[in-house]
Amino acid sequence: MQRRTLLGLAAGGMALGGLASWQWLGGQAPLLLSARDDSQGRHYAVGYRQDGRCQFATPVAERCHDIAVHPHLPLALFVGRRPSRASYLIDTRDGRLLQTLHSAAERHFQGHAVFHGAGEWLYSCENDTAQPGRGVIGCYRLAEGRLQRVGEHSSHGVGPHQLLWQNDGETLVIANGGIRTEADSRQAMNLDAMDASLVLLQRDGQLLSHERLADQQNSIRHLAVASDGTIVCGQQFMGAAEQAVPLLAIKRPGQLLRAFTIGEAQRQLMNQYTASLAIHDELRLLAVTAPRGGHCLLWDLDRETLRLSLPLADCAGITACTEGFLVSTGQGRCRLLDCRTPTPRVTPLSLPAGLWDNHWRSA
Amino acid sequence: MRPLHLFVLCSALGLVACSPSDPRQSASASLANDMLLPAYQAWASASAQLPVSAQALCATPQPADNALPQARQDLQTAQRSWAALQPLQLGPLSEGNRAWQVQFWPDKKNLVRRQVENLIDQHPALSRAQLERASVVVQGLSAYEYLLFDSQLDLARPADRQRYCALLGHIAGHQQQLSAQILAELQGEQGFLKHLQQFPNTRFAEADEALAELLRAQVNGLDLLKKKLGTAIGKLSKGIPQPLQAEFWRSQASLDSLAAAVHSAEQLWQGQADQGIASLLDDTQQPLRQRIDQAYADIRQQLAALQQPLDKLLSNDAGRAQLDALYVSLDRLHRLQERDLAGALGIQLGFNAHDGD
Repeated sequence: MQRRTLLGLAAGGMALGGLASWQWLGGQAPLLLSARDDSQGRHYAVGYRQDGRCQFATPVAERCHDIAVHPHLPLALFVGRRPSRASYLIDTRDGRLLQTLHSAAERHFQGHAVFHGAGEWLYSCENDTAQPGRGVIGCYRLAEGRLQRVGEHSSHGVGPHQLLWQNDGETLVIANGGIRTEADSRQAMNLDAMDASLVLLQRDGQLLSHERLADQQNSIRHLAVASDGTIVCGQQFMGAAEQAVPLLAIKRPGQLLRAFTIGEAQRQLMNQYTASLAIHDELRLLAVTAPRGGHCLLWDLDRETLRLSLPLADCAGITACTEGFLVSTGQGRCRLLDCRTPTPRVTPLSLPAGLWDNHWRSA
Repeated sequence: MRPLHLFVLCSALGLVACSPSDPRQSASASLANDMLLPAYQAWASASAQLPVSAQALCATPQPADNALPQARQDLQTAQRSWAALQPLQLGPLSEGNRAWQVQFWPDKKNLVRRQVENLIDQHPALSRAQLERASVVVQGLSAYEYLLFDSQLDLARPADRQRYCALLGHIAGHQQQLSAQILAELQGEQGFLKHLQQFPNTRFAEADEALAELLRAQVNGLDLLKKKLGTAIGKLSKGIPQPLQAEFWRSQASLDSLAAAVHSAEQLWQGQADQGIASLLDDTQQPLRQRIDQAYADIRQQLAALQQPLDKLLSNDAGRAQLDALYVSLDRLHRLQERDLAGALGIQLGFNAHDGD
């Protein structure tokens, strides 16, 4: 390989020298948490350092989805993928399984949960299987290293999927997917009567706002919240494949929910399906993975202009890091997207390739 | 750069497959040049013929006697070349809703007929721009087939030509332009085919990623064939055959399309001069290679034995049994490639795209 070839490849967007240049404070690379499978289809809760070292890979009985990271203890809850009856509380230092958290009677985990900033409470999106589709936010108290369910709120919607904290740390932002599913089933039962909504809910269960999108079959699934309180939600459209429907929506502070401005070419690239969203607060960037379209897309959050359209097969989890974003895939090598320059620089990570599930969290 | 330095660079990146002599890189490059490029060229060439015969058919005051048969024949050539791309849908064709612009399937509610008729009712003097703004349902070969083969239409009649010729010409033009555009995006220094040859590049970090895309396209293509045949024979409708939901049923080209797609999948497996995916199995994996070879051979033989069009076969017990057996064979091949072959090659085909969460 000639030197000019190497230079050309680097300029083309896939950096070659990235690994050697990474420096981390204290010498410890950031810890990335994810659900992951092995090639035999067995499920794991894993923690990998960004430099590729495996911190732990704990076998779990159910496939997990998102991870709720404790704000100050080395704990994380790997949340069961819907419809799930178990989530796993893991010690992130060594992967020790501290507790298998079973869902309450007539409740299923939906794949997402968050710890409150003080660390004592955890809130989980759940499905009421006695009244299928009725969304519930399970409230759990952490005491002596174990989670205990002590109550629940209504999600004020159908089939809640992801929830996150608003920037005040006290208000829950809830993506009610609007899809009714029965117990132990992923089959959508109400495609003609879906009712997706974005809900803001106080931690005590008081409803603050409830908004819908224009298209009834547009399921609000995933969220990202900026430090200024801007909320972005990513949709999965359940209607006809050829129908043109906005797949991202934004709620800026004090404003109503509306479509996020994207080009028609990018909308089509997403193939009616967004997976994970992340916001980089310092760089004011929004990142979205679209595994069905095989693309990871970045926009300027304030101008709503495209910054990067990266082909990446089966891309899934995405999380902000110092340089920009880290993105995982179910099929190939994970990537670092260094966005500190006008043209983002893409570097393959030395993590194991493929089999990464839908979400990535930094611990 | 000396080999040692290249090795150090590769090791540092964990890019173990970037040597030019790497068999996975060789297979990917060979399949790009010897398999994908000719298949896409054949499709673009067949699509370029559509406007020629459409124009001849719509000539005033009277087209030549052979104009309608020629237009139909050109459509069938385009259908076959398009079917051959089913296991090769990757890169530009797989992105941005483009495959839908070529073929609308499944058409469970006869949307093709309804939307074509609505479009012409609304725009009797349809322009190309109006077609481009219309639904993909009316932009592709499925609508073109309706115009040329539907039993209630006859473009030999002046009144039908008067009503439908504008749409016929614009679909032909759209297909020509779309296929030429996709071919252009495959070729050239920054084209997708180059990304299958040298690594790393802006799309693939290493040969394994390119190989995974090739294998995924092939596996997805086989899955689509199963769905197409399965829909027609009633696998999704409690065993009740649905001949009007088969692909290209109006022109009775369903089985021809299936055969073209299977042939193409087998070419990807074998490659030119044994440079296909099969060549990557080592000596200990030859039993798997033989099983997959045999699975392709079985399907070829079964297809060759089908002497009637799909709708005729569906109308009798013996025919339905043949089609059921063909479906079982397709399913076996699909599983062998998706599970056993991917596992043997250590390739992850990904799952988030099918996740639904």
